Amino acid sequence: MIHMHNIGFQYGKKPLFNALDLAIQKGNIYGLLGMNGAGKTTLLKILSGQLFPQEGDVQVLGYNPVLRQKAMLEDLFHLPEEFFLPSMRGDHYLTLYAPFYPKFDHTAFQNYCTDFGLDLKQKLHELSFGQKKKFLLSFGLASQTALVILDEPTNGLDIPSKSQFRRTVASAMTQERTFIISTHQVRDMENLIDPIIIIHSGRVVLEASLASLAQQFIIEVEKSEPTGSHIIYSEKIPSGWVTMQQRNEESLETPIDLETLFNAVIANPQAFTHMRRETL
Amino acid sequence: MNFLRVINKEIQENKRSLLIYSLTIFLVLFMQGMFTAFMTRQGGYSTSVYTGMFPGFLFLGGFILTSVFFAQDMFSRTGQHNWLTLPASQAHKFLAKGILTALAYPIALTLLFFGSSIIIESLTLILFKDPISLFNPFVNNTGKMFLHYGVNQSIFLLGATYFRKAHFIKTVLALSLIGIALSIIAAFFIRVAFAPYFTTMFGVRLSFPVNIMQTHSTLTTVARWIANLLYWGILPIFCWFTAYLRVKEVQATDAVQ
Repeated sequence: MIHMHNIGFQYGKKPLFNALDLAIQKGNIYGLLGMNGAGKTTLLKILSGQLFPQEGDVQVLGYNPVLRQKAMLEDLFHLPEEFFLPSMRGDHYLTLYAPFYPKFDHTAFQNYCTDFGLDLKQKLHELSFGQKKKFLLSFGLASQTALVILDEPTNGLDIPSKSQFRRTVASAMTQERTFIISTHQVRDMENLIDPIIIIHSGRVVLEASLASLAQQFIIEVEKSEPTGSHIIYSEKIPSGWVTMQQRNEESLETPIDLETLFNAVIANPQAFTHMRRETL
Repeated sequence: MNFLRVINKEIQENKRSLLIYSLTIFLVLFMQGMFTAFMTRQGGYSTSVYTGMFPGFLFLGGFILTSVFFAQDMFSRTGQHNWLTLPASQAHKFLAKGILTALAYPIALTLLFFGSSIIIESLTLILFKDPISLFNPFVNNTGKMFLHYGVNQSIFLLGATYFRKAHFIKTVLALSLIGIALSIIAAFFIRVAFAPYFTTMFGVRLSFPVNIMQTHSTLTTVARWIANLLYWGILPIFCWFTAYLRVKEVQATDAVQ
């Protein structure tokens, strides 16, 4: 579905991506994680044709996104972190924009709006930021596009809306669709995103499913500071030390905590190099 | 079909601004029409408000409208996303804006002037017994004005897509600079081509023949033909094509507003 090979990109003279490779298969909700300035938004904009890579090849749904072809855009919905909605009512927006998406499901849209408590008779510019985001999210999910890109989708959502968001995305997921969700709020995305992609220092340093991670690593809380070569990452917490370590055959699988995983990958990316190679 | 959708989207999203602009034009015509009718009744000269104002709104209004028509979609940090990811071909997105500003605007303006003239002239007839003088788009070289608008508008179309902000001012400034540069080149060309008629660097001999144009009739015919070709043919095609390429290559890093 998406192939990025040897991507190079820089803003001015500041390099951001250096020989970045990424392969994304359909039927998954990918979580894209990275530190501030790692290039998550840039990566998503490259995928939707809003930025052009200076080096390398990109294929999205079989198209070159640089050309911004109609056929690709009909099958791609991108909800950015900052967005603009025209000064009109929700139902008017629907009349204007829905025909651009051939597979748009009006019934599903109505259901999503009801779930999020949105009134389509209200003017869009009078909605709060969170309501606007829910409106666009409902629109994007109802567009039935094969690829849905969400950049920080839970920013600005209240607590009930975050769980509603997870339920709605999960219900909209099919084997033919792919979601890429970029986020800092890993707690908001737990039990939703899988596989995980982490970008750091201009490259993809981890691209793996939670199941494959759980087979190879365990996350535990220990009372004393852990030592040894099997320790990949440790962090002091009030009740002791949370550690991520290589799993041996005797140990039971543990759930992968996304925040610990992220910190471990950033602190010790070499320990995960093999995980990336496996998936490509 | 998709192209019509893009055009409809453009109209619907700019409906409010266009209505305000139309209302402003009507009010200006109304005030001027009433004032003129009043002055005529007081013994002043009767002048046509509409034919006097039409070129100003056509050219200046059209150029400003064209200059700002791409700003939100090409160069706004938040607005750009919607346009770039809208499922339509880049040619359709570009042509929708281009056609609306190059063709639809003059037609709509003509209709607005005609409609306004019916209302205003009816009122002046009732209030001041002023004879009806409707706006007639088929006189006073209006057709030729449209053609000139089409050519010159293409320059502002290019400016609108090329400059990332202050599109209108920068286009006018660029035109002025190009005009100065061309004048200098033309002066040097004349100095070289007509060297025998010059006594000093730019001093022309007093016996400069007044019928020089007839003497060099072939040259002037060719020059006029080239100028016409450049103005009516090459210039608009170059501007539209370059503006389209600019639309194709615009990306998020171009957003500045």
